[in-house]
Amino acid sequence: MNIGTLARKFFEKNGVGMALFMMFGVSFWILFLIVLPQLTMVDFSFRFKLPPDAIGGPQDVYTTTNYEYFVNGNPGNIDGWNRVDVTVFWRTLIAALFVTIFNFVVCYPIAYYMAKVATGSWARLLALSLVVPYWINEILRAFAFRIIFGDAGLINTVLKTIGVIDSSIDFIRADVALYAGLGYAYILLMIFPLYSAIESLDKNQIEAARDMGSPWWRIHWRIVMPFAKAGITSGCTMVFMLSAGALAAPQILGGPSSLWFTQIIYQGFFEYFNWNRGAAYAIILLVSCMIIVLSIMKLFRVKMGEIGR
Amino acid sequence: MKPSLLARGLTGLYLLAFFGFLFGPLFIMVVTALNSSSFPRVSPWDCLTFEWFAKLAADERLQTGLLTSLGIGLAVVVVSVSLGLAGALFLTQIRPSARASYYTLITAPILIPGVVLGISTLIFWDRTAQMLGFGTDSFFYNGIFLTVLGQSSFISSYCMLVIISRLQRFDNGQIEAALDLGATNTQAFRRIMLPFLKPAIISAGIIAFLASFENYNTTVFTISSLHTFTTIISQKVRLGIDPSISAVAFIIILLTLIGALFYEGAHKRAELKKARQVAGDDMRGLFRRNPAMIMGVMVIVATMGGIWLAMNHSATQCKADLLEQKLERQRILEEQYRQSQPATGAEEPGGAPASQGLGAGAFGNVFDPKNLEGQAGVGEEGEEAGPPEGEPQEGDQQ
Repeated sequence: MNIGTLARKFFEKNGVGMALFMMFGVSFWILFLIVLPQLTMVDFSFRFKLPPDAIGGPQDVYTTTNYEYFVNGNPGNIDGWNRVDVTVFWRTLIAALFVTIFNFVVCYPIAYYMAKVATGSWARLLALSLVVPYWINEILRAFAFRIIFGDAGLINTVLKTIGVIDSSIDFIRADVALYAGLGYAYILLMIFPLYSAIESLDKNQIEAARDMGSPWWRIHWRIVMPFAKAGITSGCTMVFMLSAGALAAPQILGGPSSLWFTQIIYQGFFEYFNWNRGAAYAIILLVSCMIIVLSIMKLFRVKMGEIGR
Repeated sequence: MKPSLLARGLTGLYLLAFFGFLFGPLFIMVVTALNSSSFPRVSPWDCLTFEWFAKLAADERLQTGLLTSLGIGLAVVVVSVSLGLAGALFLTQIRPSARASYYTLITAPILIPGVVLGISTLIFWDRTAQMLGFGTDSFFYNGIFLTVLGQSSFISSYCMLVIISRLQRFDNGQIEAALDLGATNTQAFRRIMLPFLKPAIISAGIIAFLASFENYNTTVFTISSLHTFTTIISQKVRLGIDPSISAVAFIIILLTLIGALFYEGAHKRAELKKARQVAGDDMRGLFRRNPAMIMGVMVIVATMGGIWLAMNHSATQCKADLLEQKLERQRILEEQYRQSQPATGAEEPGGAPASQGLGAGAFGNVFDPKNLEGQAGVGEEGEEAGPPEGEPQEGDQQ
């Protein structure tokens, strides 16, 4: 069957109006909002930063300068390589990984409880109270953690009143506030995939294992977790990608001496006005996150299509 | 098998800790919005005040930003729900073998970091404008246009997921029956498919609006010289925090809470209605056996009470007292310092007033009857009367 007959059948089946709506909508979305912008960004990242009138001129050729800069930094710098950017890059990825693990550990019991223990209106109430904090602005959530962990913040005040410490602990500089804020921000995105995966597990399987004398931890390790594998991967993927790509929380909660990789991208755009390098860095972030996520999916044998359901 | 008491206790503790973690920050923001201290804090508590809301209401920049955000939000709802609907319907039309890759492509924007989406949108339309020969004053560089497109790229995916989950339960026989009876395709869609999808379309719209309103990562790149509510708040937080941001949070939390309670109440009501129909009972009370609805109304009543209180409450007196206390404490410290110096200490007649005064400061003059008058809002004349500083009078109950 060729394209022409396919299109004709498509129009016949849906009517002209509906067929046009679908075709126009889907192609606009895929082309102008997803594929072309990403491709343009890739193209852009391989070009020099030029003034507008030189674009398309003889100087406008492909180059890998922007990527080399990520590795080497300015020519003739002391370290011989771009110490700041590369360090921040690794620290961001590792910190995002830890935030993900922390979130999983915190959320798994709640998701299991909601899916298998809680019932009726109590379960609905729990679900509702999970959603409410999520709709509070990301900035405001970060702001709350600033109040809590700040120099004159709640925790320091309480600790000083009790007499545990004499002078304030700098939680902001130690990045405690940042990790707590990031973990907090994406709780819901971890719980819901876990919940919907665990919910579909037949309770009899758990009962059977228990009757056979299996301790609770082995029930989770051998039955619930393998069953909910897709949900676990899905939740972890989302939390990892979002915390690695977070910008608001690091800007507000990050210590003065530590940066998040997105902040470097932001600086490239708005402080150095080097869009080309900013685009290259954005691609470095995107590609490395995707590599990490895909290899974890490979490791746990989960397919892409199972994500996000 | 019933779980043991210990296990249940531990579960309860864990739930408590988890929801404490979840709601603690929100609670703290709400409390700090009402404290007169210029640094948002819970303790020490200064005075109950509503001045931060007034400060907010006077902030014109924030209001302009709010309008921009609302406009962008509405545009995003229109674009994303249409695209999401088209995407969801299209998914049912294509071959199963192509479905997986189509699905991956169209849900990918959810996983792409918002920063990347913002940058790619900005660059793409910049290049397009240059290629077509438009200047920087054309709409291709308009912050609202770019932001709507940038946000829609991933919000459409959310909408599509919501619509798909309902579409999966659709019985295609209905459409076929309508077509057999002579309906046109458009009629069948409008009369059968759309009404069926209506709840999903409404929730997709709400989700789209909220996601657009709170978006920061994409917006900050695409908004160019304009500002949205979120970018302004972010600037404020980074420049220096003050409780008017807590006041913003207060209002948003309240609105979210009311929305959530009424949503739950409406759900419960529909459920109860269904149950009654089955039982053949036609009693219909809005609040009967519907705690969420009752709580929602209670929150609204409490809000109105709070607004009334805010209209009639003045923290001036309390703040004046507080200032007096602080000055007094400073005076006492100076006094003590002077006394600790033997040469100057001899000049002062005695140490007793100072130590008693310290007591008054520590207790915050709570025993001072004039202070109570001030709290009740009797009048401003308390200011000149003031608490008796450092003098051995009433109020020193050591």
